[in-house]
Formats: sequence, structure tokens, C-alpha cells
Amino acid sequence: MKTLFALIRKELLEQLRSGRLLILGILFVLLGILGPATAKLTPWIYEMLADSMAESGMTITPVPVTALDAWVQFFKNLLIGIIAFVLLESGIFTREYQSGTLVLSLTKGLERHKVVIAKAVILVTLWTLGYWLCAGVTYGYAAYYWDNSVVKNLLFSLFCSWMFGLWLVALMILFSTLSTSNTGVLAGVGGAVILSYLLAMLPKISEYLPTLLTDGTSLIYGSAEPSAYTASLIIVAAMISACFAASIAIFNRKQL
Amino acid sequence: MDMLRITGLRKRFGSKEVLNGLNLAVPEHCVFGFIGKNGAGKTTTMKLILGLLKADTGEITVNGEKVAYGQTATNRFIGYLPDVPEFYPFMTAQEYLHFCGDITGLNKAENEKRGRELLELVGLSGEKHCIRGFSRGMKQRLGIAQALLNHPKLLICDEPTSALDPVGRKEILELLLAVREQTTVLFSTHILSDVERICTDVAFLDHGAADLQGKLSDIKTQYRRDEYIVETENEADLLLLREAFPWMKQTGRNQLSFSEKDGGMFEVMRCVADKQIPLLKIERAEPTLESLFMEVVEK
Repeated sequence: MKTLFALIRKELLEQLRSGRLLILGILFVLLGILGPATAKLTPWIYEMLADSMAESGMTITPVPVTALDAWVQFFKNLLIGIIAFVLLESGIFTREYQSGTLVLSLTKGLERHKVVIAKAVILVTLWTLGYWLCAGVTYGYAAYYWDNSVVKNLLFSLFCSWMFGLWLVALMILFSTLSTSNTGVLAGVGGAVILSYLLAMLPKISEYLPTLLTDGTSLIYGSAEPSAYTASLIIVAAMISACFAASIAIFNRKQL
Repeated sequence: MDMLRITGLRKRFGSKEVLNGLNLAVPEHCVFGFIGKNGAGKTTTMKLILGLLKADTGEITVNGEKVAYGQTATNRFIGYLPDVPEFYPFMTAQEYLHFCGDITGLNKAENEKRGRELLELVGLSGEKHCIRGFSRGMKQRLGIAQALLNHPKLLICDEPTSALDPVGRKEILELLLAVREQTTVLFSTHILSDVERICTDVAFLDHGAADLQGKLSDIKTQYRRDEYIVETENEADLLLLREAFPWMKQTGRNQLSFSEKDGGMFEVMRCVADKQIPLLKIERAEPTLESLFMEVVEK
């Protein structure tokens, strides 16, 4: 246990001193603000447009903005957050392979699975904190300007997107044990996501795919029922567990 | 007892056979010089000992225990210093040693005490900067400190002096000599003067096997061949000698060598006296590591 804590402390120190923690913090807060801000500015932008449009004979009726608009923007902007998170953290294993820093620790009798666990703990924690910070900021602004009660299935839709992020974390770890380069990790994770998006075009299987979880908009409008996401959630949970188990097994046999 | 024993070790990367049935025995409390050309398989051997690579065939034992690939329990006996040690650049030397202590399972008080001792030993105790700004020599010294952290029975150093300037080299060699009391040192190198300075035992690695190994003094005695070197002042004198003794070998511009079995030393001296050949030097040659090395490599 002590070894694991030392490893986690080391990972945390690296996130802190490399500035990644700060960047992620700023990024997720900004993304949290961006959703409500866009929603808040929409009527104003329309008004600006209305003046110039009126001259050409078109009239724009003002649209009422609700908390729903802020959350729709939140789910749209989340993609940026996810991509930035994956780009920033994809080197968590490969940096160590390339610099050779792991070799010294492992030759001290460090058990290999602990390396995987420590890095997984850090990635899951960072994703969880960043994501819920982002959601929290949006929630606060939406509650301040409008009323969150019009948003249906809010917590569940947030949970689904969070699970999607965890799936990516699991993929990042799996591809980090398979590949030795950062590019390999990014290609693996990107490939898996693109594959899921492509398969989602086939209506029969789309409800089983991880990418379904990113569709929070249908949930908050009430056009989709949470039960429609159950299959996808179960499959994603199973894939996450399988990725972790496989990562540990592969890492144990990896030549460094 | 042998601290490290390797029998019939083979390792191949693709079509390249790096180790070809290597046998090696490193006795306790020696400084063992593992000598070989670049690419001879020194680093591969060390990685196999540490369980970082999987051997094709053969067996390695450390302190009597068999080495397993992947989860390598025998590493608890070993301190390892790679040729270019890499540490976490965002940590200070003290933080790094503390981290190493934690993962080897030292308790808090012991960890702090050992960290202080070792930083003192390698001369980094006043260093408060992050490892990012360390020079090669400083990294190498920190490397020795981390390798010695858990009182290893076997200290493995992969070319610890190759990348250093003369001052840095001297410091590392002195450190290795100093720790000989506490541990067995196995170090690979192609710098023969380093070996002569600190090693008690040597092995020459060539074509994936170590045909020549043992105590350095024994090997030197074994290879002593009553060889003489004669150096003349100019080439004309050299020719005079060569005419008289055609079995002499020219080894330098004005230098000849011959061995006792080809002809007597006194006969040569008589000729020198008769023809009044001025000599720069005449000496009985000790086998140098270089000559041994060349002999092994050229075989």
C-alpha cells in the first residue's frame, strides 16, 4: 500500500510541477463558463443581427433562453475538454518508456501492476475532478441566471458523459501498455472513438455503443429515456474493466 | 559463493544473435570488470540479469536465487545504474531518493537517514535544485546513490564512466572503490584504464560469449609471455637488428618485439654491443589489458 501511495504522490507531483494540473483546471472552469455564457449571449447576438436584418426586410423574433440552452452548449463544448484531456495525458506511460525512468523503479523490486494502478488512479481522479468541476460551474451559472429544474435527467446525462470519459481513460491506459509512443496511444484511442462513431450509423447497434453516452442533449430534452442508455452503460463498464485487466496483464510482460 | 552466476545464456534479437551461450561467475566482494566492444552484448546481459529482457535459453542466479522475467524478485539484491540514468526531472535529488526508499519499502526514519548518508557520500547533499538542471556527472552520482539505497548485495553499473569527463570519471571510480566493502560490483566498460584501476576480476565478452575470465592478476600471469621490446633511435639501426634477427616483429616505427622462445635476450644484447647500436629502450613487456583485449577480440 505504501508503495502505491508513493507512486500516486509522485504522479501527482508531476501533474502539479509540469503545470498540467493547472492547465486542466483552467480549461475545465473555462468550459464550464462557456456553456452558460454562450446561452446568455445568444439573444444579444440575435438582437444585433436583427437590426441589420431588418434593413434587408427580415424580422427575427427574440427566442427565450432557458437553462436547457446552457446545458446543450455544455455537452457540445465537452468534446473540446475531452480532446484536450486525452492530448495532455496520453503521455503518462510513454514519457516514462522513452526516458527510461521506469527501469530504475522496476529494478528496485517495484511490482509492475502498481505502476498501472497508480497511473489509473491519477487519470480517473483528474478526469472526475475536472469533469464535475466543469459541470458544477455550468450548474451554478444556470441556476443563477435561469432555473435548472426545466432540465430533465440532468444528473443521469452528466453521469453518462462522465462514463464516456472513463472509457477513454481505460483506452488510454490499454494503448499505453501496447504502444511505446505517444502517437500510438493517440491513434489507438482516436481509432476506437472513430470506430464507435462509424458503427453508430448502423441503427441496430447504435444503442450498444459507447458514443451513445455523449448524447446528453436528447436526455435533457426528454426525447430519450434513461433506460435507452442502460445497454451502452453496461457495455462500457464491462469494457473499462476488461481494459484495466488487460493492461495489467500486458504491462507485466512488457519489455522495457 | 558466487554472487552472480550465468550459465548457457542465449539471446537473439531478430536474426542477430547477441549472446551465444554466455557463462559467467562473479564471486562475492569483488569489483568485476565486464569488458567488451560496443555492441558486444554487455547491456543486454545486464538487462537479462535484471529481468528486463527475456532470455531465449540459459539460467541466471543472483545470490543463489533464479532470476525470473517480468516480476523479478531477485532485484531486491541488486542495485542498478544504467549507462545514462534517467530520473524524474521535476524532483530534487532528495525527493527522488525518498521516492526510491518508499518503493523499496524502507521505513520513514530509515529512509531519511539513508537518503542523507548517500547524498553525503556522492557529494550532492547541498543540492536543492530539480534534477532537470543536473549535469551528466551529477546524474551519474545520483544514480550510484539510488543504486546503493537498499544495501544491495550486487551493484550493477552499465558503463558508468563512458560519458564523463576525467574529473567525473575519477569521482565515479573512487565511489565504486569505496563501496566495495559493502557490496559486489559488476561494471561493464570498454575503458581499459578504468578496469586496471579498480577491478579485481574481469571477463572479456566477445561474439556473445566470455572465453576469458577470472582474477585480473591470474589472467595477466597466464598471458605473460616473456616478451621483449627494443626501441632504436633511428630506422637504420632498426634495419641492422632485423637483418641479424629476422624473427623479430616490427611493432612501431623504431620498435621491435620478440619473445624468449624465438631467440635469447643475451644474443640480441651481444649483437647490440658488437654493432654499437644506440638504443632508446629495451624492456620486458608486461601483458597489458589492451593486448589481452585485442587478442580476445581478434581470435
